[in-house]
Amino acid sequence: MRRKHTIPTYLAFGWLAVSAFLAVFGSFLPVDSYQTIHGDFIDSPPFTSGHWFGVDSNGYDIFSGIVNGARLSIFVALVSVGIGGLIGSVLGITAAYYRGKFDTVVSTGFNVVLSVPNLVLALALVAVLATNVDINEAVPTWRRLTTLVISLTVVIIPILGRIARAATLAWSGREFVVAARSMGMRDRHIIVRHIVPNVLPALIAVGFLAVGVVIIAEASLSLLGVGIPDGASWGGMIARGRNDLEYNPHALYFPIIVLALTVISTNHIGDVLRGGLDRREGRL
Amino acid sequence: MNIKFETPRGLLEAVRNVNLEIPAGASVGIVGESGSGKTVMSRAAMGLLSGSNVRREGTVVFDGKDLTAMSREDVRNEFGTGMAMIFQDPMTALNPVRRIGAQISEGLRLRLGMDKRAAMARSAELLALVRIPDPQSMLRKFPYQLSGGMRQRVMIAIAISCNPKLLFADEPTTALDVTVQSQILQILSDLRRELKMSMVLVTHDLGVVAGNTDFVAVMYAGEVVEQATTTELFANMKMPYTEALLKSIPKIDMKSGQRLPVIEGRLPDPTDRPIGCGFASRCSYVQAKCTTEHPPLVDAGNGHLFRCWFPLGHSIARKV
Repeated sequence: MRRKHTIPTYLAFGWLAVSAFLAVFGSFLPVDSYQTIHGDFIDSPPFTSGHWFGVDSNGYDIFSGIVNGARLSIFVALVSVGIGGLIGSVLGITAAYYRGKFDTVVSTGFNVVLSVPNLVLALALVAVLATNVDINEAVPTWRRLTTLVISLTVVIIPILGRIARAATLAWSGREFVVAARSMGMRDRHIIVRHIVPNVLPALIAVGFLAVGVVIIAEASLSLLGVGIPDGASWGGMIARGRNDLEYNPHALYFPIIVLALTVISTNHIGDVLRGGLDRREGRL
Repeated sequence: MNIKFETPRGLLEAVRNVNLEIPAGASVGIVGESGSGKTVMSRAAMGLLSGSNVRREGTVVFDGKDLTAMSREDVRNEFGTGMAMIFQDPMTALNPVRRIGAQISEGLRLRLGMDKRAAMARSAELLALVRIPDPQSMLRKFPYQLSGGMRQRVMIAIAISCNPKLLFADEPTTALDVTVQSQILQILSDLRRELKMSMVLVTHDLGVVAGNTDFVAVMYAGEVVEQATTTELFANMKMPYTEALLKSIPKIDMKSGQRLPVIEGRLPDPTDRPIGCGFASRCSYVQAKCTTEHPPLVDAGNGHLFRCWFPLGHSIARKV
């Protein structure tokens, strides 16, 4: 019954594997630092020897930027989806399992947060949390990064929390949960051993989609100038390159293509996982 | 015991004034058609009805302890080791993503404090007890790899894993075909004798009750309408409802094309019970009094209780 994986699925997995490799081992590769200025090669087009992706108008090598940017883009996405997913599912699962007032409070909270567009919410949070009272004093990068991750986490919590809640509602009404209770199992044990394993596949599928959402959000924030500065992430590269789009379009093309490929890959894999999940549900 | 559900259409009285005693080591059958309150009653007895709309009145006394007066924690300690339940549908009562071994050993480890190895060994023994061939390899399988009969056996193994004193079997054979049904019932009766458990067998099939129980309670519209020892009930039936239920079991010697006798009509609306006997509108012996006055539960002597103004054998009782 298992449908064979199709070529796009392999490509998506392959691309994510490459990005993950760059994110983890990028700094060990024999690639120049992304902050090295190649004065002689300013504005070189792609396919210049030694600078295959070209060099932008500041003299930064685009390939180095992409290798380096993978780390921050993927780090930010994984950390916020990880933390946000964890908090969201703990809230969603317990709310749906116990119901009552707690559930009302949690789901109302989710809905309130969801009612604000992702980007606006993240923008507002970053703007509030990552500014100094004295505007002449630069905000340190670590603080911008932390704020960015926190903001994106807040965006993710209700997205995954809602999925966790819905899935738990469906599973906790099943007979095997009543059966576990009839054997004298504690609620905590039932949640961890019976509910979570059934809810997890749905969470992982949506988690992949959420990674795509976060990568886009991070890029958008960088483009708006509140994300990671100095071209340190893919979004940051786009932000820096857009100033001289006319003279140097390749400075934009490459990060955009890489970003798009990554988001398409996560979305595709999320869809494949969800499809597999639906087939599994159909069998049960 | 009374069980009511608050519904948008008013208070639904699912179980009314049921008073049942299950003697130690005995097997009691609860019979009735769908919707008569059998399952609700057995679940309520175990305190498994959760939900804000449930109203439970009365007491459940188990082993000298009043479960309704105990704390949640204390009641939970009775589950599994004191009382356990086998569920109606073996397709949904097992967790689809966990191995059989993990599901059986769960109770052993958490309730009896066995270590993993001992619990697994005991699980294999339990599977052998419910006559599953090759228990060792079964431990590693997932529920979807098993047939309905096999799953029901696994359910039984789980239920008896902590040596309960009282086993509720809620329509344990409804989802199974007839040959498997008799095997499962045989296993249940044997286990009950070997482990000296009491058992409550909930079913809609009087045939199932006949060979497997010591006492029978017939439920209709949330009430016990007839209650006696199994031999007394079948020898000396009082309720027209019980008789109708018995008649509607298909028999092997029926001519083909012959119509199966059915009980006409439906159960009365549980949010709006009639004043008189709940069965009056469907009873073939109905009299005027049946529609105006609710019959009390009376004793015919020898503990045979019934709830009918004109029981079978009564001089006025005749077909109309």
